[in-house]
Amino acid sequence: MSPVTVDAKLLGDPIDRVDGPLKVAGAAPYPSDVSYPGMAHAALVQSTIGAGTIIRIDAAAARSAPGVLTVITYENTPALPDGPMTILGPSPRFPFKDNRIVHYGQHVAMVVAETAEQAVAAARLVKAEYEPTTPVLGITNPDAPLEFDAWGMDSTRGDVEGALASAEVTYDETFTIAPETNNPLGLFATVARWEAGRLVVHESTQWPIMARQTLATVFELAEQDVRVFVPFIGGGFGAGLRFPPHAILTVLAARMLDRPVKVVLTRPQMFTSIGHRPETRQRLRIGVARDGRLLAIDHEATSTIGIEETNLEPVTMPTPNSYDCDNVATHERQVRLNIPNPGAMRGPGTTQGNFAVESALDEVAYRLRCDPIALRLHNYAEVQPGTGLPWSSKALRECYRVGAERFGWADRNPEVRSMRDGDWLIGYGMAGVTFDWYQAPCRARISIRRDGTAYARSAATDLGTGTYTIATQLTAQLLGLDLDRVRFDLGDSDLPLAPQSGGSGLAMSLSGALHQAAGNLLGAFLDAVADDAASPLRGRSPDDVTASGGRLHLVDDPSVGETYTDILDRHGLDELTADGAVDPKAEGAGMMPAGGFAARFVEVRVDEDLGVLRVARVVTAIDAGRILNEKTARSQVLGATVMGIGMSLLEQTEFDPGTGRVANATFGDYLIPVNADVPDLDVVFVGEPDRFSPVGIKGIGEIGIVGVAAAIANAVHHATGRRIRSLPITIEKLL
Amino acid sequence: MTLFEYVRPDDVTGAVDLVSADPGAAYLAGGTTQLDLLLKDGVIRSNRLVDIGRLPLRGITRDGDTLRVGALTTMDALAAEPVVAQRVPFVREALLAGASPQLRNMATIGGNLLQRTRCRYFRDSAVAACNKRVPGSGCAAVTGVARMHAILGASERCIALHASDLCVPLVALDVRVHLRGTDGERSVPLTEFYLPAGESPEIETVLRHGELITRVELPLLAPGTRSGYLKVRDRASYEFALTSAAAALVVDDGVITYARLALGGVGTVPWRARAAEAVLTGAPANVETFRAAAEAEIRDPFTVPGTEFKVELAKRTIVRVLRTVAGARP
Repeated sequence: MSPVTVDAKLLGDPIDRVDGPLKVAGAAPYPSDVSYPGMAHAALVQSTIGAGTIIRIDAAAARSAPGVLTVITYENTPALPDGPMTILGPSPRFPFKDNRIVHYGQHVAMVVAETAEQAVAAARLVKAEYEPTTPVLGITNPDAPLEFDAWGMDSTRGDVEGALASAEVTYDETFTIAPETNNPLGLFATVARWEAGRLVVHESTQWPIMARQTLATVFELAEQDVRVFVPFIGGGFGAGLRFPPHAILTVLAARMLDRPVKVVLTRPQMFTSIGHRPETRQRLRIGVARDGRLLAIDHEATSTIGIEETNLEPVTMPTPNSYDCDNVATHERQVRLNIPNPGAMRGPGTTQGNFAVESALDEVAYRLRCDPIALRLHNYAEVQPGTGLPWSSKALRECYRVGAERFGWADRNPEVRSMRDGDWLIGYGMAGVTFDWYQAPCRARISIRRDGTAYARSAATDLGTGTYTIATQLTAQLLGLDLDRVRFDLGDSDLPLAPQSGGSGLAMSLSGALHQAAGNLLGAFLDAVADDAASPLRGRSPDDVTASGGRLHLVDDPSVGETYTDILDRHGLDELTADGAVDPKAEGAGMMPAGGFAARFVEVRVDEDLGVLRVARVVTAIDAGRILNEKTARSQVLGATVMGIGMSLLEQTEFDPGTGRVANATFGDYLIPVNADVPDLDVVFVGEPDRFSPVGIKGIGEIGIVGVAAAIANAVHHATGRRIRSLPITIEKLL
Repeated sequence: MTLFEYVRPDDVTGAVDLVSADPGAAYLAGGTTQLDLLLKDGVIRSNRLVDIGRLPLRGITRDGDTLRVGALTTMDALAAEPVVAQRVPFVREALLAGASPQLRNMATIGGNLLQRTRCRYFRDSAVAACNKRVPGSGCAAVTGVARMHAILGASERCIALHASDLCVPLVALDVRVHLRGTDGERSVPLTEFYLPAGESPEIETVLRHGELITRVELPLLAPGTRSGYLKVRDRASYEFALTSAAAALVVDDGVITYARLALGGVGTVPWRARAAEAVLTGAPANVETFRAAAEAEIRDPFTVPGTEFKVELAKRTIVRVLRTVAGARP
């Protein structure tokens, strides 16, 4: 039942964040803000070798240091079951199972004390003796174990080798991208508290339901005896998609001490404890006809991974679906190294793969002496290439057109080194983006109370991107209520099941569940008045009824209706509640559900003598279907674009070649863009509501980072004539 | 817990006595780095920290063609001083190229002079090999990730960089540093204040235990002298220099009659480029001269993988700053 309709506008009202006042006032409780009476504080000790074994841990001095309550090492850690399998693979390796060290910075002890300062001071007193072995490091290291066909993601259609052999123009280049670290501003924290056998955990997670499942499994509890809270999190960018060992240790410490325990990672520990974007190497071979028709694409990607870990890094996944090309093969490889395990970082895989493919197409366009947009349009995938099914929506052509207009692409002199301003060479570059669709089951519950307010909830998360706001806004719209009459709660595993904030899927899943719950709730109100002689809506079909201004009324005649409060009052009900649940399946839909599409246009300035590169402006045209809130959506894209500039110009997690120690694990050494690096960013939304999604939306959480790097590198080529296939593009690469 | 005594005296003599009397005492000075190194990184130890924040060492006075700048004068205050913009504009440019506005509001001139190296091998006590931290232990940076490291004055013993921007024009100007110890006051040229890394990279300055920087004396450039500071870095702001250069020139009828040049981002100490100055003085103000000066100065760099690019970048930085200051064509 779905009697309610959503606003037909493409762009939802740019309302301010509903949680803005809390955040501005410093009143939003992030996990690191949580405190309980009697709470103890933990500090982590990390290994100072890259591989080997612990011979001995001398924790005597730490144990006798002021305020210290316990020191946990592998020696006094009880056997714990492994965490569960998730869609991102088996749970991360738990480092306290034995005395083996598999990467520099592996946790080797947790010191718990009365105060955080005492814990940190005592942690320095823990002395570990190691028997080191030579760590396996370096993505091209021939001694490193190499996994082929990672996650079974290799794919082939057509005859790639044959088409490459016969193509008039062929292309074969290698791309490298440095590892990066997510670095959400909010330091990841865990606060664990046992209450009579029940476990309450405040955790920096993007997925409370997964966190609950992990804790229930590891500590052998029923899921209803575990409750995970994360009403606010200071960003995540994928770092909160897996359940980290330090959180398990904190729960264990709380159990051992029978009192609440808190740990907050330090910034350096953020580099080794919760994942990073892996290093990648990609080889791209393309065959093309003189007229620009793509004949073959062979895309081979290699990414790094922890020596005993798993990580889903689908670098080549969008490649077969991005262009109309009969012969496409993809190869996913993973190199096992003694490094902290990588993990998802905004647009995992896709972001790196796009850099290679969209740089390569620019190079091909130059070889063919054709316009880069024309080349892309010539190979436009009108239908999904793999299946031949129509897309649920696709406005990539409009992205190219509108983006080019706003940018002034037509004014560009395509000759390299043709534009200059004093010592600065100027270049224009562009890239296209095809982002994969992803969605997961989601539930939501909505109640309307006698005072005319609505309470909606789901165990979702808001990474700071606007889940609270769009869910409140959508619920208000669906139920015909003013915004201030609606409250939405999330970040609590006791609420109805929600998927992770990940894969750009949450807004789609959650909006579908809210849409259905709202429909069911209106149905429940109509059921309540089905035989109610006092109701003007008695016996009405849901199809005839809609809601606005706090009233249910006939679609055709708004004067015939009554308020929610009237109905509840008359029936002596405090509230009515309904659930919604979605489990979207692409199979049998007769169409291919589409993710977002985008075109990026960038102007760069390069001081060639000094190797200095600055981004002068970025224009982004995005098809993400209907936009629930133009302000939060735009902010998502702006933030992701800044992150893309960081990836392109600055960010690289550097591992010491001998040990795998992260050599730049501070914000003084790991550079992210500052305001001065961020130029005018123009974002425009194009397209139409998506046909597959119940409310017409597509995900927008990640697409904003994709394509930035290729557009910048292509602009650098236009400016200088130099093709940089290695990120970040630092000064030494341009000298 | 690392317990230490914290003292905040009101007068210079008292502060000097407090530190001088106790080998384990130190000034809470040297910018933010002292607290980081002591409390966060565990790299240095002190049992008594003497906060100099209340000492009467703040303020700028002019005496003819000399500026006396109290050690506790903030970077922001010095940058805002009109005579600095008029007579030593490259000092102002270097100040504004350093740190961030928030830091410049707090950071002092004395603290800037004494900021410690940012070398991550020095700052991580889990790394065994660091001659600056543990004399004789070696240098992990030489075989590690080196980029923000020195190529001049460096050796396999130490490649730690002196990262100050401000000190670059200050060494070009022959600034004098005034020091107060228990024996009274003395002054040394800034170019001699820093010691070459050499055999003992752990000894960074001529400061004796307990000696305090009270002020710097900054000679103004002669009217008509042009000067400039160029800082090259990946990030547009709030990053230490990969290379930088401060230059002051007088060009008379196309000939350089006065030249001062110093380099940042490349030296274990703020690098006065005397060899380049010798080439410049008396030579025509053109790009060929500037390149020759750069070649003369960057003669014998010590590089490791990761810092090799700085050799050419430093030369180009010299050429660019000289070209800009001289108003010469490319």
